[in-house]
Amino acid sequence: MTIVDINITVGGPQGGGIDTSSNMISRAFAQSGYYVFGVREYHSNIKGRHSYTHVRIKADRPRSLKYPVDFLVALDPDSIFEHLEDVGQGSKIIYDSAIDKAELSQARLIMRDTAKKIKETLTDDNFPNTISGAIAWMKSRGAIPIPVPFNSVVQKAISGGVPSRYFNTLGAALTLAISGVNVKHMNDSIKIVFAGKESIIDENVAVVKAAYDYCAENNLAGKTLPDLEHPTRFMLTGNDGAAIGKMMGGLRLQTYYPITPASDESTIMEEHNYIKWVDTEATKLKESGIVVVQTEDEISAITMAIGAALTGTRTSTATSGPGFSLMAEGFSFAGTDEVPLVVTLYQRGGPSTGLPTRNGQSDLLFAMNTGHGEFPRIVLSSGDVEECIYDSMKALNYAHRYQMPVIHLIDKNLANTSDFIPHIDGRKVPVIASRFDVHGLDFKRYNLDTTNGISNLGAFGKDIFWMTGDEHDELGHVTEDSEVRDRMMVKRFTKLKTADKEIPMDDRAILYGDKNAEVTFVTWGSQKGPILDVIDLLAEEGIKANLLYVKMFIPFPEEFVKKILSNAKLVIDVESNFLGQLAEVIRAKTGINIESRILKYNGRHITEDEILSASREIINNKETKVEKVLKHGA
Amino acid sequence: MAHNFKTDLAVDWCPGCGDFGILTSIQQSMAELNLDPLGVVMVSGIGCSGKTPHYINVGGVHTLHGRAIPFATGVKLSNPNLKVLVTGGDGDLMGIGAGHLVAEGRRNTGITIMIYDNEVYGLTKGQAAPTMPFGEKTKSLSRPNIFTRLNPISLALSAGYSFVARGFSFDMKQLKEIIKKAMNHPGSAVIDILQPCPTYNNVNSMEWYKERVYKLGDEKDWNPVVTKDNVKDAEEIFARSMARAQEWGDRIPTGIFYENTAIESFPSRISKYVPNYLDIVPAEQRVTTEDGYTVVDAEKTFADRLIG
Repeated sequence: MTIVDINITVGGPQGGGIDTSSNMISRAFAQSGYYVFGVREYHSNIKGRHSYTHVRIKADRPRSLKYPVDFLVALDPDSIFEHLEDVGQGSKIIYDSAIDKAELSQARLIMRDTAKKIKETLTDDNFPNTISGAIAWMKSRGAIPIPVPFNSVVQKAISGGVPSRYFNTLGAALTLAISGVNVKHMNDSIKIVFAGKESIIDENVAVVKAAYDYCAENNLAGKTLPDLEHPTRFMLTGNDGAAIGKMMGGLRLQTYYPITPASDESTIMEEHNYIKWVDTEATKLKESGIVVVQTEDEISAITMAIGAALTGTRTSTATSGPGFSLMAEGFSFAGTDEVPLVVTLYQRGGPSTGLPTRNGQSDLLFAMNTGHGEFPRIVLSSGDVEECIYDSMKALNYAHRYQMPVIHLIDKNLANTSDFIPHIDGRKVPVIASRFDVHGLDFKRYNLDTTNGISNLGAFGKDIFWMTGDEHDELGHVTEDSEVRDRMMVKRFTKLKTADKEIPMDDRAILYGDKNAEVTFVTWGSQKGPILDVIDLLAEEGIKANLLYVKMFIPFPEEFVKKILSNAKLVIDVESNFLGQLAEVIRAKTGINIESRILKYNGRHITEDEILSASREIINNKETKVEKVLKHGA
Repeated sequence: MAHNFKTDLAVDWCPGCGDFGILTSIQQSMAELNLDPLGVVMVSGIGCSGKTPHYINVGGVHTLHGRAIPFATGVKLSNPNLKVLVTGGDGDLMGIGAGHLVAEGRRNTGITIMIYDNEVYGLTKGQAAPTMPFGEKTKSLSRPNIFTRLNPISLALSAGYSFVARGFSFDMKQLKEIIKKAMNHPGSAVIDILQPCPTYNNVNSMEWYKERVYKLGDEKDWNPVVTKDNVKDAEEIFARSMARAQEWGDRIPTGIFYENTAIESFPSRISKYVPNYLDIVPAEQRVTTEDGYTVVDAEKTFADRLIG
């Protein structure tokens, strides 16, 4: 039996139904029993500019994406030009034969510098700057063009309307027909995607039939793909994961100000506002929901979340770099006033507005140092969709246990990663009780008489106490007393020591693979999956590699990291930023300097193939002080 | 025994400061309404006004410069049963925090906002605040003020506040009554409180105000109230309030400019979408099972994400 491993890119104009097309493909493969893993790439634009999805289909769960793709589904000319370099030997290019004569110079929504690069590529190899030229160029690299008369295929199927509105369904159906996916699965997917819109379903099903017929008539249809036994699964993004985890973790109020790629988390919560209780609680708890508040700015988002936390409610906010910059002062307040607050920080390409819809991991050092003054915080990050769920629960627990702000980092790539999760486990992470002793009057909120730094948490509505951004006494009143100042500083930082003692190592750093390896990768965030795949591929080549995966940066797992790295042979740091920020943290905390680095900061997702080839170069050349910058991605 | 709404802290405002009258008015209004001290939260910003919560024996948060309103909104939304009051200076609420003041008007969360209006930034030595008129030269300024004056009453009305009033710190009887009304008002209230800064503002002194203030309530035909029963007159009443808000100079109106209970409060709007929101407020929700796990069934809540 051949191993199914299909990489597909569906590209088209933003607003042209790319997500729907990709969703149909994912769902059809899901119906057939396969796992689909994918990511969305898009411009900061509402309609017109190039957007695409890249998905990978396997029988077991994929963890990464790979170039060259097996299918490039181009719903417009830009998608051919933009993805010139993403195809290779055997890649099938499905496109509208009518666009053959389209010229690069007319593709005005391709960024000028990108168009210039494409022009150079084609011109240097003596190909015309047209779609037919681009297709010929791809063909010269082994790709297989599949021109299809989109208009006439659709027109025959639909009862009326504009054929181009069905190009996304057509592109998906052609891909599935060529892959050999049973047409029934595609039709089932359409029924789900367009649920409740019967006439739209009928028209789309007709288009699917036309596509399958076209493939049969033109000898394009693939050998039937066998259906697999499979459990039911949830198709979730990183944004979904964070929303789910927070709701499970007891969150009842979330604030946000719209920003990519964070606001999806909040709107997802709003859409799933009606909480369903676990069976044992269903009779005990009244129906209830989550309050999601869109604020006037990020300053309001963080201060409103802090205000809500003061009544004992579990609260959080979600933002991205520019928004978190505005939150810095409020974050500092949460630090000194010991407020249980979670900030989910979605990282995109910075600085400033940067690459607002693209990937980045450049906010680690910022997250570790946000705000003026010195105060303890917990900083953790997730590397896949499941981690987003359970880390969000843990983040709320940490915030309540240690009474300090917690930053949960998720990179844009992960936020927009779509993965199939077999089970959401409500018993995996406990939810620490938010029970408050009722203290009433004369309550010392900042009681100094503790050994672990943790005083009893108060709640407005139940207790009278004060809070101030000034240094304060045990009651929460302003003080400038020198001794109380010293004791309060020590008390606050003692909580961090307590956290360092209590939080298990598995939640902070993990060594994947054999202890004794020739190569040790070091990473954080969404490179985890691709690196684990690269480790498997290197093993096939006889190279034993492992991965030191870091999840928590404050409190930093110093001893663990030090132990592993001081015994490692060739260490390669992999990050989606310019400075190698994790490597810098490791150097500061352990004194170990990781000299070989694979970095990517062009905003596009890191793929298995590029980490593999960059690692091979480092391994084979026995270079030690080398920095490989990955450049790929449309 | 009745609760003592005073704390035992030494109050460190300057002698003659208008803040004393405001503090006393707040404490008296709480006592007269016989409020449960556990059910009240004071929220302030930065500056002399920011110290107010420390002097009142209810829950208090002395927050960041300009940010008292969103803090207070968060407290109120997580537990709408609480009475939440905001104290802030004119610079705090209408300079650095102006955006929040405007946004809260659109929300109408149900918080009582008191603007300590003395035209200067006192704690930083008397710089001009947004309420100081153009050309005014106080002793703390090296040159006359080169900004024009912001009108707190018309700003609050424009922003959508459903209760807008003005008090004077040396008329505690009137101020106390306004605060009581504002606290019982279901929506958000703005009270512009005129007060002298005896240290830095030698122009707008207690005497200066006393010569000018008069009470809207003394006018027989003054009716600023909109209820469900007279919503049809709302536009006319609003226009009259807005017109009166423009009066400043030789005569300065005080009292209630506008009071509209027909505008739905933010918690009430939220309750239409969040089941049992006002019944089991977020702060009162149980989030763990007896054995310490989540009460949420995520697979059922996110059943729409199920795939084959």
